[in-house]
Amino acid sequence: MDDKIKRIYVPMTESGFYILFCLQKPQHGYGISQQVKKMTGGQLTISAGTMYGTLSKMEKDGLIAFCYEEDKRKLYQLTDLGREILELEIRRIERLYRNSKGEDCNA
Amino acid sequence: MLKTFIRFFTIADYEDEELWLRYKHTEGWKLVSMTPPCFYHFESCEPEDVIYRMDFKNNTQTPEYMQMISDFGWEYVNESLGWLYFRKPSSEAESEEDGELFSDDESRVDLVIQVAKKRLWPLVIVFLCCVMSGLLNTMNGLYSGFYEKFFTIFFGTMFVIYVFLIVYCGFKLRNIKSRYTNK
Repeated sequence: MDDKIKRIYVPMTESGFYILFCLQKPQHGYGISQQVKKMTGGQLTISAGTMYGTLSKMEKDGLIAFCYEEDKRKLYQLTDLGREILELEIRRIERLYRNSKGEDCNA
Repeated sequence: MLKTFIRFFTIADYEDEELWLRYKHTEGWKLVSMTPPCFYHFESCEPEDVIYRMDFKNNTQTPEYMQMISDFGWEYVNESLGWLYFRKPSSEAESEEDGELFSDDESRVDLVIQVAKKRLWPLVIVFLCCVMSGLLNTMNGLYSGFYEKFFTIFFGTMFVIYVFLIVYCGFKLRNIKSRYTNK
């Protein structure tokens, strides 16, 4: 995998993580923000400009790809590279979680 | 009723501009359009607390971008010199972030970088190429008589304005940037 992309995205911001996580299925920007609100009980809000900027960047870096258009809204989905990055990040968070609970992660 | 207010904001004053527009709306004036560099055209309206936000897109906004912003409840007001103006009643903002265009520091810093790249640097280049070279030519006696006086005053004034703008905007943009990076 591209080491530069990996360095940029792992670890990633909370917003970045939720956006990638939601894009396992095709979704547009506003749909993602609604889903994130639901998943976090309203604790995390991703604003319009941040959403647009993050999606543009992720598309340029090849993590997500344009799927199809619905009423002027572009729907995106993870690429293979995006899936790989998400997988890495999830493993990192799982390790973090286990260590925070005082479990031995190498056991 | 329509009314035009004159107020000057530099490229580094966008956060103050947002607050001023919000304040105007609470006084019963809603923004209709603006004419650069300092004319704001308002229409009288019911006083209301409405949040104004600006994004710098430098004319690169796509229909998809406009759609996404409006999906998030923002009304597009006007565009001026690459800046887009949006507003949303504060009663419709569900949270603090919902009343902002940018919810993380990374994207706030991105905006500052874009403004510096596309607006501040061109200002420096115009300053060096036109104002400085004009002033030096005049001082070296390229013109004589009336023209000498005219160009000395003209380029002298431009010199002062440009130096002020570049220093002011440079410092202010750096301040905004560090506010969002040193948290």
